[in-house]
Amino acid sequence: MLEGPPGLAKTLACRALAAAVGGTFKRVQFTPDLLPSDIVGTRIFDQRSGEFATALGPIFANVLLADEINRAPAKVQSALLEGMQERQVTIGPQTFPLPDPFLVTATMNPLDSDGTYALPLAQMDRFLVKIVVGYPSAPEELAILARFGGEAPPLPRDVATMDDLRRWRGAAHDVFIEARLARYIVDLVAATRAPHAYVERGASPRATLAIAAMARARALCDARTFVVPDDVRASAPPVLRHRLAFTYRTLTENVAPESIVAELIASVPVP
Amino acid sequence: MDRLALRVALALAALAFASPAAAQPIPALHVRSFVLALDKTSVNVGDDFHLTLTTHVDERISTLENVVLPNLSSLEDLGDERRCSAGKKGTECVETLTLDANGPGDRTIGPATLEILDPQTGRPHNITSNLVTIHVTGQAKTGSQPPPSDVLAAVTGGLVSLLRNILVFILVAVAGWGFIWGLRHRQPPPPPIAVAPVPAPAPGPVVDWATQFAQLSAALELEPTRPRALAVREALRRYLGARDEETLADLVNRNAANGKPKLLAALGAVERAVFCEDSRIAEAVREALPYLKS
Repeated sequence: MLEGPPGLAKTLACRALAAAVGGTFKRVQFTPDLLPSDIVGTRIFDQRSGEFATALGPIFANVLLADEINRAPAKVQSALLEGMQERQVTIGPQTFPLPDPFLVTATMNPLDSDGTYALPLAQMDRFLVKIVVGYPSAPEELAILARFGGEAPPLPRDVATMDDLRRWRGAAHDVFIEARLARYIVDLVAATRAPHAYVERGASPRATLAIAAMARARALCDARTFVVPDDVRASAPPVLRHRLAFTYRTLTENVAPESIVAELIASVPVP
Repeated sequence: MDRLALRVALALAALAFASPAAAQPIPALHVRSFVLALDKTSVNVGDDFHLTLTTHVDERISTLENVVLPNLSSLEDLGDERRCSAGKKGTECVETLTLDANGPGDRTIGPATLEILDPQTGRPHNITSNLVTIHVTGQAKTGSQPPPSDVLAAVTGGLVSLLRNILVFILVAVAGWGFIWGLRHRQPPPPPIAVAPVPAPAPGPVVDWATQFAQLSAALELEPTRPRALAVREALRRYLGARDEETLADLVNRNAANGKPKLLAALGAVERAVFCEDSRIAEAVREALPYLKS
């Protein structure tokens, strides 16, 4: 999940990812009048045959981009829940498996933007990471101007195949996590559950699994077959930040959630 | 001499009035280390030096009781400072004594003992520390005081001294009586256990970091195991001043300007040996050794 103000190329980043890995790509623009059936699909009565036929929704894709996900109400957002967790969708009496691999990318504007709805915590928990996209620096913005000032460059196509993705996923599962590091991951998540002035609810065990998965993937990207403490530490903030429920004091005292997460992570000794 | 007598009297009085019922209960502790160290290996007569007793325990405690300091009768105790700091990995208690030797020669100090309850068996244990030796050079102190400059001062000084001696005598008598009374009414102490659960370092002079690191590296080369690699990594992190929450990347960023690339490279190499798969530890240690030796 990418969060940031409008105009920071969040959608473009998701589209570029989808184009690079091939497979099927679907994009859903979330709006306040969107219905769950617009995402998962629906059953339509065919007058000629006199039977109901199932029209599959855009969720049946390898890469789904839920653009501005928090512009739709919670019931629509929840339509993604089953798909993201169970990798299947139930329409009427039938259950349909989703393609493999299945990846949901989403963009959202900060909650103080008009016409947005907060995502339920259960929904947020299903996103592996949330990356906060900030404004570019002056040199970065100059580069953007140089590349996109005229005609937009074509997106990178078919850099990797779906088979590559499946193979990498298997290799990431095999990356070794030493017992001390496994304990470190558990301690990091447990630290979010300890009583804290700014944290109302800590992260779930799904966060533990997500940190381990991210750390493994990071190690693999670094051509290692084992995880080191830096992998865990680098993975923890984007995994934990959107999974915590913060108290009203974070708003009234204008405390950045990132600083709270950083403080919690710093409270756990590195093994 | 008067000062010494007063100290002995106070110590005896403290012993006498500490009844057995008020004695500290023996705590159940997992003791990781119990080490005596000196800040200098050689001093001149009259120079201060520090004797440090460092104790690491797994539990979070505020004070460490039941420590018996080594016999310091051949030295003068100039001060004592104690502190316990609890952290995520237990507690470190450090007692620092400032000492001064009156005469030349080698003095072996130790061992200190710590009485605890073994948390597994519930039985009392006496943990003994290592011994340390200090070499004192120079002439012995004379200890003579300059005489008072005039008669009045001499008389006044004499009276004060006489009164003080009487007070000391009374205190000693009371303390002695109390001490004997206390001994008669005291519970028999639990039998000491000679075997210390934590291996104490070999007696001798204080080992500096470089020597210790070389020893740890040599041990790792002989026995390429994860615990050995972990010990080397801990020594490197300690030398680089790593805080508990700092990773290798943090240390690299923090020390980028300090010019410690070899140490950081060594830390990175040994970290791979600490966290890699069991089957690859020996290979990772082999790869790390050139960095450690450099």
